[in-house]
Amino acid sequence: MLIDAIRAEGFRLARSRTTWFWSILFAPLISLALSVLGMVFMKANEARLMETANMPPEAMEVFAKAPIDMAQALAETAGKLDSVLLLPFVLIGVATLYACDYRWETWRLISARNTRPNLLLGKIAVAVALALVAITFMLFSGVIESFIQGAVFNRPLAFEATGDLVGQFFARFGLSWLRVVQFGILALLAAVVTRSLLAALFIPMVIAVAQFFSPQMLGPIGMAPDAWFAILVNPSAATDALKMAASGGMEAAALPAGLLLKAWISMGLWTLLPALGAIAWFKRQDLSKE
Amino acid sequence: MNAVIETRGLTKTYGTVHALAGLDLTIPKGGVYGVLGPNGAGKSTLFRILLGLIRPTSGTASVMGGAVGNIASMRRMGSMIETPRYPPYLTARQALKWLALSHGMSGDVDIARWLDRVGLTEAADRRVRGFSVGMLQRLGVAAALLNEPELIILDEPTSGMDPPGIQDMRALIRSLADDDGVTVVLASHQLLEVQRICDRVAIMNKGKLVREGSVSELTSVGARLSLSVTPIAKALDVLGGKGRHEGAHVLVDTPRAEGPAVIRALVESGVDIDEARWVGADLESIFFTETGAVQTPEAI
Repeated sequence: MLIDAIRAEGFRLARSRTTWFWSILFAPLISLALSVLGMVFMKANEARLMETANMPPEAMEVFAKAPIDMAQALAETAGKLDSVLLLPFVLIGVATLYACDYRWETWRLISARNTRPNLLLGKIAVAVALALVAITFMLFSGVIESFIQGAVFNRPLAFEATGDLVGQFFARFGLSWLRVVQFGILALLAAVVTRSLLAALFIPMVIAVAQFFSPQMLGPIGMAPDAWFAILVNPSAATDALKMAASGGMEAAALPAGLLLKAWISMGLWTLLPALGAIAWFKRQDLSKE
Repeated sequence: MNAVIETRGLTKTYGTVHALAGLDLTIPKGGVYGVLGPNGAGKSTLFRILLGLIRPTSGTASVMGGAVGNIASMRRMGSMIETPRYPPYLTARQALKWLALSHGMSGDVDIARWLDRVGLTEAADRRVRGFSVGMLQRLGVAAALLNEPELIILDEPTSGMDPPGIQDMRALIRSLADDDGVTVVLASHQLLEVQRICDRVAIMNKGKLVREGSVSELTSVGARLSLSVTPIAKALDVLGGKGRHEGAHVLVDTPRAEGPAVIRALVESGVDIDEARWVGADLESIFFTETGAVQTPEAI
């Protein structure tokens, strides 16, 4: 039964070219285009930039010819895939997926022959896959960017994937994915409660911006950044702590004791509670007027 | 009697408004069953409860022997509530495939057959965003039939259709009941249409059932024989208390079964009969009598 809902949602999403463009292709394409423009600008002004860099020519030469470590670049990019700049584009697809049945009044076509929790879980499963595809495309755009950078500046490409780096890559990528999924779940709750596509899109964005600024607001009221409340209300800080732990080294060692447990609990609560809330609300919802 | 739909004391209240007020209704298996009622009678509320879109305030409802919400029972039913809408970027064929997957059917369901049955073969690969209301209705019926249901619920199935479309839909509904053995339950404001295609009807008013029965039963009660005769005085003598003079006609209160005997008696008494017809017992007049709705000149 759940598999029916997943197959149907997947089929429908696969045919929505607009959703594919805006939530998967647009951000990587724009990001790549802006990077290439930046590179072209730098190449065109290379001599002037080197003059103003105030570095010994030998050092400049070494720097300019140093290989681009793609493995390192990938691991770093993997940790930034949940950025507030990328999020709105992924949310376009996710919000459409969650709110479209209200918008098109299609619940009445599908709700009678499956359970309501299955219908929402099917949407969540497809949204999770959509988020994965979106951030993977973004990652690929980073790889292409490295190739172009190598070609434009005549720098060799290197790929030194040590065991530690591979681990860091997957940990950062997974955490970024979980964070995007988390905002998707908030979009689901907003869609179910308000029945509105715009609310499903903007409410998670407002929460993302609020979480971005909340650490700066907790300090002045005397709350330590690793306090239970600070971590529970701000999963953004929790993700940062987890990513830092995944990176290893001095920064990871300096993390306060018990912070990672708090961070995982915060991440779990911010993912599960909105999902359970949406399912509970949807189970009792009047679908006569979608 | 094998019931496909059964409600007991079904009530739905919105604030102080009783959309359904203790509805007891049993819809038997087989044939075409019409649910009639003026706006606000509770027809749509009833259908929405049967499809699990809304919950009743109290009472029970069962579909195909299972409680509403029992997925195994619900999957033996098809439905179309009002004019259906679809994701606008899907073609008609894709919309049906999407619904087939959603309903747990394999992707190789014979979609072309259902599109052909509702006359949408030529529009199969057109996006639904360009469909007229009538085409959306046809696609809705195809969607309701996809799982080859034993019961199909249609709310205003001919709404927005042109006359040939209405005729096709009537034929399709009758064929579903007669050839495929599907029980069709439909709500319609087109009383003539209901009288033509339904075997039984329920008339609802203010959330309650006010009349229920087969169309032939309902229309045989209260009918009057309208006669154009000469001489009128002699005809009234022969008819005694049964007849009365109204305009150019003589109206006779008599059961349908006795109609031929009345005519025979008049002819044998030397009364010439120019015209004889039954009046006043069509579904429309019963509807207006039972619901207290006001007949507009157009309706008359």
